[in-house]
Formats: sequence, structure tokens, C-alpha cells
Amino acid sequence: MSEADPGIDYDKTDVFTAYDIAAKPHPYFEYLRGKGPIVPLGYRNVVAVTGYDEGLAIFRDDINFSAINTVTGPYLPLDYDPHRPMDEQIEECRANNGYLSSVMSEDTAAHEKSKAILNGIITPARMKANEAYMYEVADQIIDEFIGKGRFNVVTDFGQPFAQLVIAELIGVPPEDRVAVRGMAADPGQMPGNLGGGFDMSANPLLRMGMQFYGYVLDRRANPRDDVLTRLCEQTYDDGTLPPPEAVVAVATFLFGAGQDTTVQLFAAMLRQLADNPGLEDRLRAEPALIPDFVDEVLRIEGVTKSTFRYVRNRTTVGDFTFEPGQHVMLHISAMNRDPAKFENPAAFDVGRKNVRQHVSFGRGLHACAGGPLARAEGRVAIERLLARARNFRIDEGRHGPQGARQFDFLPNYSLYGVLEQQMTFERI
Amino acid sequence: MVKITFREHDGSETIVDARPGLSLMKNAVAANVPGILAECGGNCACGTCRIYFDPEWRALMGTPRESEVEMLDYWHEEGDGARLSCQVLAVEAMEGMVLRLPESQS
Repeated sequence: MSEADPGIDYDKTDVFTAYDIAAKPHPYFEYLRGKGPIVPLGYRNVVAVTGYDEGLAIFRDDINFSAINTVTGPYLPLDYDPHRPMDEQIEECRANNGYLSSVMSEDTAAHEKSKAILNGIITPARMKANEAYMYEVADQIIDEFIGKGRFNVVTDFGQPFAQLVIAELIGVPPEDRVAVRGMAADPGQMPGNLGGGFDMSANPLLRMGMQFYGYVLDRRANPRDDVLTRLCEQTYDDGTLPPPEAVVAVATFLFGAGQDTTVQLFAAMLRQLADNPGLEDRLRAEPALIPDFVDEVLRIEGVTKSTFRYVRNRTTVGDFTFEPGQHVMLHISAMNRDPAKFENPAAFDVGRKNVRQHVSFGRGLHACAGGPLARAEGRVAIERLLARARNFRIDEGRHGPQGARQFDFLPNYSLYGVLEQQMTFERI
Repeated sequence: MVKITFREHDGSETIVDARPGLSLMKNAVAANVPGILAECGGNCACGTCRIYFDPEWRALMGTPRESEVEMLDYWHEEGDGARLSCQVLAVEAMEGMVLRLPESQS
């Protein structure tokens, strides 16, 4: 078995259940690409997209492609009946399944309303204030492990950093932030879980949601001069006040969305630093390169490797005609390595000219609202880690030598990441 | 249709047959202008569809709302020669206009 050929018969393997593909997705993506930019899988009514231009066209077409299956993929509880109107079936499915009503899965008017609440949270002014907090909290967290010479990137740095930053952004009062730390989801219970089952009721976000409900009622009754009050008073574009549940849904969604994804960005960045000798020193000498470094990591090892759209109307993209009821599996990580778009795509290159054209945050109406936030978190994390320590190395005793690393990966067909990443360093 | 030129940071140009009434961003994206990333799809939430215009076109470019001013400020755009193209509608009088694009969108 080699890096390029892990010895899997992809023709006979189901991407929605196979851990080996979840752990090593790129050889699979290249196998698909060899068949064409848009390829029907032949099972679960799924069509896979690896082409950059083709995927972009689908991201931008929210008329012919619905987002209802973004979170579930083909496990969407909808059996399309060609004799009934498509929109009616989609809305019926949404009404019967509460977890399909998040901002990620909504279409058109409902999506616009949720987005109005979200835009009230992630404003440039809030981002600026939040960035100042990032520097402060990054150093506080680094202080906790700097004396040990080693850390687990996922739990010792990534999770507390991402949790505290998003809590500050949303305006969770400082006295309540301690409760936020450690609120991590079970990696086997996330959307995109292999086999399709995930139990949202086991998700700690539910607890967060209850807490937010309390905040919304309190701030609406007793307004203060704080971020939460402004969030609770944010109106829709038509000037009406959203019901408390709508605010809670968006705030809780944002809290969840900004966790595991960002944590895995930190882990991926540190793997690149460890495996590219000289890169650390180069970034220390030229800190202006750090934003490009963050984006190149997002391109080559993005966390959301796949997302989904549901075909609403018959429509043609490139040479392929989609039929209503098909599930489109957009392989973001494959689009980011399309050789027609990115030269020498499997090579890590901080100087890559068109790096910001990657689609790790999606595109179109549903593009990740937290993209600017994630980029800032990535930059601040690397700036502070490089200022405090040097020689970041993967712990070979735990994960093996370069070229033969052993990680436990997320058992997930949508997200790519590791459960644990032990590293060593020297304190500066 | 009106002809509007989008000039990339490296000088390469795309001449777009823009549809009046549609935003400059949507017109640019439909014509595959490389330097209009428009990551957020027109929500005034990412600042990756910035355009620079010359003073002669000032009157046609209108005045940005507060949320757009905040976003331009976030990207350190100073002066009044920059807009988010998702917030500006194409109009007939823009025939022949040239818009420049920032390096960070190249």
C-alpha cells in the first residue's frame, strides 16, 4: 500500500460507511476525478463532483439546487415522488424534521431571515473587538501547557481557544465562559457521521441553546449595554423582531459551527509546520506570509471535505444533466486540488498565487459566515504559538514517523480531522 | 446590456456585458471575473467583491450603507473610491466604466 494507492477497491466501497476513505480521502477523490468532474456513484442516488468549475456553478445555483440535504447528505428522510411538486415535498420534509431547519439547510426566504440575525452577530466591528480578545486568550491557553514542552493540539489548545473566542463574539458574559469550556461534541455523533446516524439530542449544543434562551428572554426584558442585548434586539430586514427561538437557533448554530472545524484547522496547520522543515522560521521572519499560510492549509487540507445539494429541477452543468431528487456530493477538498485550477495541486506552497480561490468556505448564498473569523483565529493562533515556542514536532512515539503517521480520524464523510494530535516543542 | 471592464490587479481584463438592475457582483460572477470572489454570495458579509472606481464614476456609485462602510473599513479601504460590488446595481450610464480589483482578490 502506498500514499497514492491505499489498496481499496473503490468500485465496491461505500463512501458513506468506509472509515478507510474517511481517513484517507484524497486517493479516493483522484480515483473519482479519473472518471470525470461529475460522476454518479451508482448507489444512494448520489452524484459526486470533483471539478472546480462544475462545483462552483452548483454552489452558485440556489434555484436548481436546494440546500435541504447539506447536513444529512443522502440520509435525508425524503423519497422523491416525481408525480408531486418538488417544492411541496421539500417543505413537507423540512416541517417534519426539526434538525433540517438550521440556516445551513434553509432555502431562499427563510434563509435570508436567519442570515439577517447572523449578520448582526458577525459584524466587522465585532470582529475587530474579537480579534483583540483572541490574542489575549491565545496567550492564556498557551500559558497552561508551555512549561510541559508538549500538548495535544485538539484538547489543550484548539478546543478551549475556539470555544472561548466564539463565546466572546456572541457575547457570553465572562462569568459564564468557564461553563463553555469543555463543551465538546462526541466525535461519533456529528453530522456526516459514517452510516448516517447521529443523535442531536446527545449534543452539548442543546445545553448551550437552553442557556441562550435564558439570555434572550433576560436581555429583552432588561436591556444592558452589551453584545447580547444588541444581538437580541437585532431585527429582520423588514424591521420586525425575530421570535426568541430564531435568535437561539442562529446563535447556537454559530457556536457549534465554529468549534470542530476551527480546531481541525489548527491541527492541520501544525501538521504542515511539523512536516515542512524551515517553514516555521520563514513565517517567523516574514509574518506577513501567515495569512497565505492559513489559506494554503485550508486549500490542501480543508476540514469540510464534502457538502451536499439536492437537485430540485432537471439542470445541466458542464456535460452532465442532473435529475430531480439526486443528491449532489460536492467534494470541496477535491475541487481545491483540481489541476485545471491549481498548478501542482498536491504540493503545499505558501507562495501560491491564486490560493484564495479555494472553496473551503463554500461559495454562494450558503458560504460560511464564519470564514473571516476562522481566518483570523488561524492567523492569531500561529502568530502566538510561533512567538512562544519553536520546533513544533509531531510526537513520533504516539503518531509514528513522517510518511507513516498513525492518527485516529473523525469517522465522518463530511468532515476531515484527527481525534488527537500530540506534539512537542521547545519553549522560547 | 452595458459594457463594464473589470481590471485585475495584474492588469488582465474581463469586459462584462452587464445586465442593468442586477448587482455588479452578480454580473461579474456570471461572466467568471476571477477577481470577484464574492465568498458570501452577496450578503455584505465577507468583503471579497471589492471594486475601485475613478472619481468620474462617483455619482453612479451611490453611498454605502453602514454595514458596508464597516466592511470596507475592516479591509482598510480608505477614501471614497471603493465599494462592495454586491451592493451596487448596474445601470445603463455605466457603459464603458472600468473597475479595478484589489490584490487580495487575485
